[in-house]
Amino acid sequence: MVVCAVSLALFWMAAFTLWWQMHAWRTPETLAGTRFQPAGDEGALSFSLLVPARHEQAVLEHTVTRLLESTHGRFEVLVIVGHDDPETAEVAGKVAAAAPDRVRVIVDTHEKKNKPKALNTALPHCLGEVVGVFDAEDQVHPELLTHVDHAFRATGADVVQGGVQLINFHSSWYSLRNCLEYFFWFRSRLHLHAEKGFIPLGGNTVFVRTDVLREAGGWDPQCLAEDCDLGVRLSSTGKRVVVAYDSEMVTREETPGTLMSLLKQRTRWNQGFLQVYRKRDWRRLPTLAQRMLARYTLMTPFFQAFNGLVIPLNTAIALLLDVPAGVAVVTFLPAVAMLVTFVFEVVGLHDFGAQYGLRVRFVHYLKLILGGPFYQMLLAGAAVRAVWREQRGRSDWELTRHVGAHLTREDVTP
Amino acid sequence: MTATIPAAVEAPVVLDPTPPTRLRASRPDLLLCGAVLAAILLVQGWNTTGFPALSDDEGTYLAQAWAVQEGKGLAHYTYWYDHPPLGWLQLALVTWLPAALFPDVMSVAPMRVAMLLVTAVSAVLLYVLARRLGLRRWAAALAMALFGLSPLSVVLQREIFLDNIAVLWILLAFCLAASPRRHLWHHFGAGLAAAVAVLSKETMLVVLPALLLTMWRHTHRDTRKFAVTGAITACVLTGLAYPLFALLNHELFPGDGHVSLIDGIKYQMSRAGSGFILDDRSGAHAVLRSWLYYDRVLPIAGLASAVLLLAAARWSPTGRALAGPATAATILALVALRPSGYLPAMYVIQMLPFLALALAGAVSAALEPLRAQIQPLRRLRSGGLRRPALLRRTATLAIAATAAALTLPHWYDATRTALTTDTNAPYRAAAHWLRDKANVPDPSSTRVLADDAIWLDLVHAGYRPGTGAVWFYKADLDPAIGKTLPRGWRDVDYVVASPTVRRDAPTLPLVKAALTNSETVASFGEGDGRIEIRRVKRAEAR
Repeated sequence: MVVCAVSLALFWMAAFTLWWQMHAWRTPETLAGTRFQPAGDEGALSFSLLVPARHEQAVLEHTVTRLLESTHGRFEVLVIVGHDDPETAEVAGKVAAAAPDRVRVIVDTHEKKNKPKALNTALPHCLGEVVGVFDAEDQVHPELLTHVDHAFRATGADVVQGGVQLINFHSSWYSLRNCLEYFFWFRSRLHLHAEKGFIPLGGNTVFVRTDVLREAGGWDPQCLAEDCDLGVRLSSTGKRVVVAYDSEMVTREETPGTLMSLLKQRTRWNQGFLQVYRKRDWRRLPTLAQRMLARYTLMTPFFQAFNGLVIPLNTAIALLLDVPAGVAVVTFLPAVAMLVTFVFEVVGLHDFGAQYGLRVRFVHYLKLILGGPFYQMLLAGAAVRAVWREQRGRSDWELTRHVGAHLTREDVTP
Repeated sequence: MTATIPAAVEAPVVLDPTPPTRLRASRPDLLLCGAVLAAILLVQGWNTTGFPALSDDEGTYLAQAWAVQEGKGLAHYTYWYDHPPLGWLQLALVTWLPAALFPDVMSVAPMRVAMLLVTAVSAVLLYVLARRLGLRRWAAALAMALFGLSPLSVVLQREIFLDNIAVLWILLAFCLAASPRRHLWHHFGAGLAAAVAVLSKETMLVVLPALLLTMWRHTHRDTRKFAVTGAITACVLTGLAYPLFALLNHELFPGDGHVSLIDGIKYQMSRAGSGFILDDRSGAHAVLRSWLYYDRVLPIAGLASAVLLLAAARWSPTGRALAGPATAATILALVALRPSGYLPAMYVIQMLPFLALALAGAVSAALEPLRAQIQPLRRLRSGGLRRPALLRRTATLAIAATAAALTLPHWYDATRTALTTDTNAPYRAAAHWLRDKANVPDPSSTRVLADDAIWLDLVHAGYRPGTGAVWFYKADLDPAIGKTLPRGWRDVDYVVASPTVRRDAPTLPLVKAALTNSETVASFGEGDGRIEIRRVKRAEAR
């Protein structure tokens, strides 16, 4: 009986997650709607692009130079560097000198550094009508701003979230899954969130109207997932968020270099989600359905971890123990949902390859499938770690903040 | 003027240019579909208990559904993987409420009403499918009418056959595959429905390529790989539930002392072939003749239409739109042509919806050029062009009248037979006789060999299911029943010798001996269709 109940609960969780994950491909019209509309003009809004950089001397110049190639006419780039990071400051100064009318350098003097503090430091200096955030290693498409501009005006949005895509799927078994996670998240799931009026935003390629952002008080400097938090706060107050994904125009990134850094990054996100959940801003959402979606989404990392561990166990029980055939069939349901998810992931990988003109070989599909259980273990590990850290933090907030800041520094700017 | 002339010579628009995305909201569609449905319900529902004769298979499936309701497992005899059980599981579900309220109605004749429900749903689904494939309203209604009113349909759809249930699900699958919204989960649902169809009647397996074709045509290039893969995954995973079930029961592989799925499949594959269908001495040919006896239009013209549509798919939009159903009909026909295969009489049930669609589509395609020319010409009343329009309309009417003249008299006769003949009076009388305490004082300790069709009536009359009321062939074939008859035919009290029992007795020693050593105590009906109640002459045996 218990097994049946657990199985059904697991099945519904897996089925819902799958349902949402496949949102963009529901109908051809939905898929078409996830793209940027073709921008017919040069654009009318002005942009302030924030690029927080910490120990990024190697890539910063390239990133900013590429930003300056943007076809949009009205934008400024604000590079934010730490007062204790002379190498990056030097590179920033050089690019600012090369394009003095476009690039400014803002120095962040907070003693403990993290990304939301850096962004908040720059916010008062923004002159544009729209603030955009990029990471120092991002590769941004030159036509992105024009399209975002058009999206703002065509939809009357307060926030536009562009696509972010990890590309280096061939680097390792986990980068393959990591890339695909991004693909499903930005290509599909986020659009559902935008449609439902509750959205955890991404960390970059996110554009917010400056007045809206100032009104909201900028980013939460204490939150480990300041991007998610901002999205939740803005959507809770009824701000309109639009998501657009075009494989041509996504911001390209790379997966964390090591398994350990991926685990740390994921721990930080999970802990951030947990913090956002506990901040309870989402409770202001008007409808019950939205609040349920918020609750579920913010708890997803933990459900996911739970699912990944219990489903195989559940199936093993059905196969090894002598249970009635009817019960056994029910216990297989979650595994069936998981199998369907696997199949869609394989198709997703194929589509990912096709969209980006990348050659996906048979071995990659094999890695995708075989890596699945191990990736689940990684996610579960990150989830447990996040809960443990958050629990410890509650008894000793100062220490957690310290740890969190340390983590952020380490992970945001690897 | 010049603006309208080119329209007249344009390629004819065969398909409805604006098929409504929401049939539910389309009043003409609802009215038309409702009218045809009412006709179908009337013709199929009236006298459904009286005609056609109760068949053994109906009794088998309903008895198994009864066993499910009674909590006796998938059958009241050992379930031996002869067919996947989903068909009678659904039957058990549908008949559960009436059976719980009035246990006596859980026998073959009254429960044919359940099939009326199945046919109604199938007919509506066929209309929806026709519309979704782009046929005009009248053509969709024609398909629905052919499907539900052909005398062949009336006979076969009234009977409690798993094939009818499978048809419902495969039609649902086609409807979902042709979903105008091209929704991922509709296609996923199509895969699920297809699996249910196959698990209801395994022969539906051969129709799946046609379903895939339909789905392929109705998916968008950008979402196709997700939709089609999703559908296939859904279908395969659901279908695998059956072998999984066998595996969990340790009955997947053959072994001593138990039944197995593999053995079941082997049996079905090794059933004696009924010969080449066009060889007039073969069993298959006799089956074909029995179909054509009821209706020639749907099987012959339908199949011809299907082949034509496929052949013309290159240049005919209707041919392309109906490629899926036409393929289904053609595949099923080709399978029937296999000389080594076993061709059961209900096989044609699976073809009926596809034949009806193909025929309606072909008629629509044939008449459309006329229509396309009439319409612009109508607008040119002022000119001297009125006569050709009149001529064409007359031609259309003449063709329709000829078709009706060729079809309707036979349909009328056959329908009248279906509505008025009572072929099952002998069965009812036999059941009544055996229920009468004056004839059989203590049913619970009486052993009767009977065919499956009357079996549930005996159970309701108080005979012990399985060991008191015995499916006659189980006495010879099921070791578990054999054990309860240690003295062979001498342990039997009565034999209900129906045509089925007399037909099969020569191959069943115990039944044959019981027939030989018994005397008729009551006989109902006449000729070959008579049912005798024979009491075994125990005194002599002792």
